[in-house]
This record gives sequence, structure tokens and C-alpha cells, in this order.
Amino acid sequence: MSSLSQLMLLFVGAALVNNILLTRFIALCSFFGISNDMHTSIGMSLAVIFVMMMASTATWLFYYFLLKPLGVGEFLYIPAFILVIAALVQFVEMYLRKYSPALYRAMGIFLPLITTNCAVLAAATEAVKPGFFKMNMVYDFTLGENLIYTLGVACGYGFALLSFTAMRERLDLAPVPEWLKGTPMAFITAGLLSLGYMGLGSLFGL
Amino acid sequence: MDVVLILKAVGALSLIGAVSAILLGTAAQKFHVDVDPKVQRVLDALPGANCGACGNPSCFGAAEGIAEGRLPVTTCIAGGQEVADAIAEAMGQDACAVAAVTSCRHCGGGTNAKLAYAYGGVRSCNAASKLAGGSLLCPYGCLGYGDCVRACPFDAMSLDERGLPIVDLVKCTGCGICVTECPRGKSGNLLELIPVTGTVAVRCSSRDKIKARRDSCTMSCIACKKCEKACPSDAIHVIDMLAVVDYEKCTACLSCVAVCPQNCIDVTGRASKQPAAVTDGAAGSFAGFAPTLATVALEEADEA
Repeated sequence: MSSLSQLMLLFVGAALVNNILLTRFIALCSFFGISNDMHTSIGMSLAVIFVMMMASTATWLFYYFLLKPLGVGEFLYIPAFILVIAALVQFVEMYLRKYSPALYRAMGIFLPLITTNCAVLAAATEAVKPGFFKMNMVYDFTLGENLIYTLGVACGYGFALLSFTAMRERLDLAPVPEWLKGTPMAFITAGLLSLGYMGLGSLFGL
Repeated sequence: MDVVLILKAVGALSLIGAVSAILLGTAAQKFHVDVDPKVQRVLDALPGANCGACGNPSCFGAAEGIAEGRLPVTTCIAGGQEVADAIAEAMGQDACAVAAVTSCRHCGGGTNAKLAYAYGGVRSCNAASKLAGGSLLCPYGCLGYGDCVRACPFDAMSLDERGLPIVDLVKCTGCGICVTECPRGKSGNLLELIPVTGTVAVRCSSRDKIKARRDSCTMSCIACKKCEKACPSDAIHVIDMLAVVDYEKCTACLSCVAVCPQNCIDVTGRASKQPAAVTDGAAGSFAGFAPTLATVALEEADEA
């Protein structure tokens, strides 16, 4: 699994077919929480891509060079990853604050929020453990594949979030019945959007 | 029971924890950014809701601005006088009054305004204004689709039966979001923040020619200057063919309201002389729709 076409397949599979928000229903809190405003959504999407790439690289290294050799990776990976991700995001926040205040301001409140974003943990754990995405295949990602996979997950997150935000912004103008306005309509829209994404799965047979 | 495995697990997690602790501890020293203690004191005084009404991304941003002296101690709009006093104390300044403002509509159009065409699109002022400048004959008038009402984070605005937004002066914090949301706010000043003591308001913001104003709306300001002549305290002037109130000078005598031939000058409900009125621009307080009320207010003013 290393030729270019397979890597692209890995990316598309992670981004669209197994879209983290709409197919796997992970990180829905942020999906509904910040999809009111396009500006915020763009910020959040970029921050998620940034944090997810870093976090999954770090967790991959910790898994294959510490947990696995010790033989404790099988059951210890979730608490260990939480620890690594939390520490890493804190560190990046400090670093950015010192050396790139502009970026720190742009990311603003998103960085600490993403620390607890389940999508980041999900991407990190799926990369090392057979799970939903790997269909119980016992297969270890190399670091490169891990990066491609994580980028796919993060881009899928961003794509789904931005398209949903665009829909919600238009929904605000649409003649929606009073009792469906706001979150109820958002739930219905997300459900329909999710159905569309599920169609992708059967389309490619992935 | 595999004791070795347990020890390994404990060891691995402890190692990760120790590494993180050392990393973060060093980083905290190495990347230490000195925070002005004043910033922290101001931040403590702020409500911490990060509402963004002041235009800063967060309360921290506002606190930095205030501590640097870039922003006034009255920056926090949602907090009002109480917070301003607390910040002034944190800054070591004398407490100062918040120049409290609330939103005010400069249009009496609604059912008085003539339509240019029948608009059947999305019910949004911003959408409607993009179609040949909106469906009203008057290019400055209130379109009445309520973008300001939807934008108001404090639920202070509502549309009345005339299709004009009215402002609940108790709820309005003067954040100005309605002003930026209003498409007419970009071309003219249909919505404006005026002082909470502003008793009267000119319900017209048209910059059209006088004839065009007369043709498009029965309530437009026709720049006749009667209010200017009637005002005993030199507080209302016709500037660029539109009456403008100077709230610093206005004594709430309501002379202008009485003389306006177009019923275009209105009692806003902000005055202390009108005890019960808390809604700006409601049909009841509107001179053009209920001329008797303005007269009553005038009489009360005379008595007082």
C-alpha cells in the first residue's frame, strides 16, 4: 500500500467515504456548535488540519517507539494518546504565542478547544489500531501513510463543516416553519447531508 | 495477574507524563510572555462572556487594549456602567460615565412609503436591497424585512405592524450590530446609535431631492427649517437638507415635534418625561400615527 494511486485512495477514503463527521458521527459537537458562521468555520477547519497533523505524528511516534515495544500498546493507547495530544497542543499554544502572535490571534480560542476535540483522538487511534476505517484489517500504517490518512480525515472534517455552514447560512434566509427554525432544521439538514455521504461508500465500494 | 505488564503500563504513562511535564515546564519558562498585571486586573473586571460586541475578538483582547490605553475604560458595551467602574478602578482612574447609546431608526416609511415594485424574493433586507436598490421608491427607507431584528443578540428589536423595527430600550445595549447589519446603514444612516437621553429623533434619513422625497413618502423631512426656528436651544439644524438633532443641546422641550408639518420628528421614548415608554419607534409613540400622544407629552412637559 504505497503506490501513489493507493495513497490517493487512502486520502479520498479518509476524507469522503469515511467522512469523520457525516459517516462516522465523530466530533459532532463542534459540527453543530460553530457552523453558524463561515468565518469561524474556516478558522476552525484550518486549526483542525494543523493540530491533527501534528497530533497524529506525535502519537504515531509514541505508539511505535514506546508503547508497542513495551507490549502495552494494545490497551494503553487511548490514555497515552490523550496525554500526548493535550501536552502537545498546550506546547504549540505557548510556542505560537511567543514566536507567532499573529497566528496565535488568528487561531484564538480554537487551539485550546481542539485539545478536547474527539476527531483528533479518533484520527490518532485509527491510524494505529484496526477500527472502523480499516475494517478490522490488521495493518500498520507507515509514518507517511499515517500523515496522508490524517490529512484526509482533517480535510474531510473541513469540507463537511464548510459545506454545512454554507447550507445553514442559506437556511437562515429560507422560509422554515417557526417550530423547526435553528437547531432542529440543522439536525434535519445534517441527516440528509449524511445520507449523501453514505452514498459515496457504495459508489466506490471502499 | 501479569505484574510486569502493569509495571510497564504504569512506567510508560509516567514516562509520557514526565516528558510532557518537562516539555511544558521548560516551554512555560522559555516561551514566557510577560503579561501586564494591569491586563489581568482589567480582565478580571470584564464579564468574560467573549461576546465581541466591543469589536475585540475576546475579553482578553479588550483587556489588552484597555490596559495599553488604546481603548477607553467604557469599552465593554454589554457590561455597562458597573463594569466600566470596575475597570476604571483596576486602571487607577476615576470612574467615568458610560456614553450609553441605544439604537434609533431614522425612517418613518413603512406603510407611508410608496413602493417602486412588488418584491417577492427572499425576505431579507440585504437580499432585497441588491435588487435595484430595494422595492421602496425611497432609496434610503427601511425595507422592513427585519435583518436587524434577526441580528440583534439581545432580542431588543422587533417589527411592528407597519413593518418597521422598534427598539426595546431596556434590552438594547447599544452594541451596534443592527447598524452594521442594515443595508441602509452602509449607504445612509437609517439606524444610528443615539444617546439614551435622546428624546426626539428625526424619522427620515433620505438624501434624495425634496420633490423625490415628497413623491416617495408622506413622512419625509422636507427641509422646511420650521424645527430649526422653533427650537429654543439651538439643538436641531437642517444640515444638507435633512434635520439633525444635537443631543448635547436638546432639552426635550418637544417644540420641534409640534411644528413639524410632515410629522417626521418623533418622541423616541427615551425621555425621562415619558415614564412608561420604553420602546423606541412604536406606533403609539409615533407622532405621525398618534399625533395626540405627542401633544400629551408636550402638555406634560409644560406642566413639569
